[in-house]
Amino acid sequence: MRFFDPHIHMTSRTTDDYEAMAAAGVRAVVEPAFWLGQPRTTVGSFVDYYSSLTGWERFRAAQFGIAHFCAIGLNSKEANNEALAREVFEILPRFALKQGVVAVGEIGYDEITPAEERALEWQMDFAVENDMPIMIHSPHRDKKRGIVRTLEVAKNRGVDMQMLVVDHNNEETVDNTLDAGAWAAFTIYPHTKMGSERMVEIVKRYGGERIIVDSSADWGVSDPLSVPKTAALMLERGIDAKTVELVTWGNALDAYGRSGQIDVAALEASPVVDQTQLFADNSVLRGQPPRVDSGVPN
Amino acid sequence: MTSAARSLIARLVEPHLASDALGWLGGAVEEIAGGVDDGRFCALLSTASRHAGGTVKVDPDAAALAEAEQVLEGWNPERWTALSALRALLVLAREDLARESGARAVEEAFRYADEGELVALYAVLALLPEPGRFAWRAGEGCRTNMRSVFEAVACDTPYPLRYFDDVAWNQCLIKCVFVEAPLWRVYGVDERLSPELARMALDLADERRSAARPVQHELWMCLGSHGGERGRASLERELAEGPVLGRSAAALGLARAGEAAKLRGFLDRERDEVVRDHLLRALDGAHDQRSFGALSRIPAARA
Repeated sequence: MRFFDPHIHMTSRTTDDYEAMAAAGVRAVVEPAFWLGQPRTTVGSFVDYYSSLTGWERFRAAQFGIAHFCAIGLNSKEANNEALAREVFEILPRFALKQGVVAVGEIGYDEITPAEERALEWQMDFAVENDMPIMIHSPHRDKKRGIVRTLEVAKNRGVDMQMLVVDHNNEETVDNTLDAGAWAAFTIYPHTKMGSERMVEIVKRYGGERIIVDSSADWGVSDPLSVPKTAALMLERGIDAKTVELVTWGNALDAYGRSGQIDVAALEASPVVDQTQLFADNSVLRGQPPRVDSGVPN
Repeated sequence: MTSAARSLIARLVEPHLASDALGWLGGAVEEIAGGVDDGRFCALLSTASRHAGGTVKVDPDAAALAEAEQVLEGWNPERWTALSALRALLVLAREDLARESGARAVEEAFRYADEGELVALYAVLALLPEPGRFAWRAGEGCRTNMRSVFEAVACDTPYPLRYFDDVAWNQCLIKCVFVEAPLWRVYGVDERLSPELARMALDLADERRSAARPVQHELWMCLGSHGGERGRASLERELAEGPVLGRSAAALGLARAGEAAKLRGFLDRERDEVVRDHLLRALDGAHDQRSFGALSRIPAARA
């Protein structure tokens, strides 16, 4: 099978991960901008980070046969530094409208503060003006209230619910998200968010419509193979292949394809690896012979 | 307060410093008191790591802890390291702490700080003049992913109780539960419970149960008398089916909600000696936040 992991932070992952993902059938990813584990102190750090998401990281993924899309946004934690947030919003449009940026994200609430809400509204307005999908990060603490409030704010800002992906749902929030008409994404983390077993139960109960599975793998303990592993478990537990394909490929493509930034025909074609290519004279190789056209198994 | 704090911290740290480190400290304090630029101030805070261990605890005795409480209610240096104490002395050596230049220098120090420096800076905040000036910064500390830094903000200091608004306070407490930092060490939990905090805690309990995961035992500290019917039902469920640690903590929770009669009913049914012991103590009135601290002494194998 082929998979689309629509939430993964590849800048925090290794080339071993890229190889394993490609071997497991991951064909495409969305890398949303997030925080880096500690707060940035100057707008220049954001410029370089956004630039790497639309530049080097996309190249690096392609070297392993994986199509890399990204979402650009100011995350909720750093939205609390309002002086810095204002500077970030000055430069954000220069990156958010670049080719291959499929959403504004990941944005939302962390502590549900007024500063976070102002940043959320600003970015939702930007997305609406530019007809872009939105990737929502729902908070770890007070999640349900955070999601309910996010959905309300989105409604008030005129966001089309079909353009809204609410991530990190769980059993307690899935009804709120689906009832609002938004896409309900689930992050498969073994410990803090969802495990594959729980995901199977959710898909059994709700079916595949508007449900999306992702890994959100980052610099923490997480698994870049969450999506293929969860798909395998769903099949093993008797969920039909069509539904599995919807939640691990089709729905993400549908949601983020609304940006007009995904060439579906190119994505459907068998990926071609050419590691002789360079990015600003840089290669992912360290003296190894380049792989060319070795094909990526499906 | 600053000079009393300085004197106590100096007495706590000095036994842990070699003679050349003591000499360095004397020189650095004198230099800072005389006025240094922000870069030099930051460099001295960093250099402290070359003169004191980051793992050695200052280990205050009961008299020193009582003195700390006298200096500032809610300040408890029990878990301070020698290195944090050394850095605190450097910060407190500034003579301009009450002025704009002092606040700016402290803010600069935060901006360039590594993990250990952050721990020391957050721990000393409450001891500075007009601590409320640093409320945004302390909120930033609560958003950290580093457990040591979070605990320096949240635990053993009166800072959150005195200077956090309700959103920051509730988030701080729920984050303690979420990351399993010792909530009972957050000064003033019992003084600042609310219906909103209880609601957040009960939502978290529902979320954990939906995910078939155990409820963190300190969550039951967050209800107090504000849990209502929903809180009672959630506590009773924990007492009926939770693990030893969860049942013991829920017993405290039920006592805090004033449900002594219900608690006696559970006592009749409870067979586990550890839980019975905590039930009895709770019925006896020992159910303040420090009583939750006693639960951490339940051996993991029994919990």
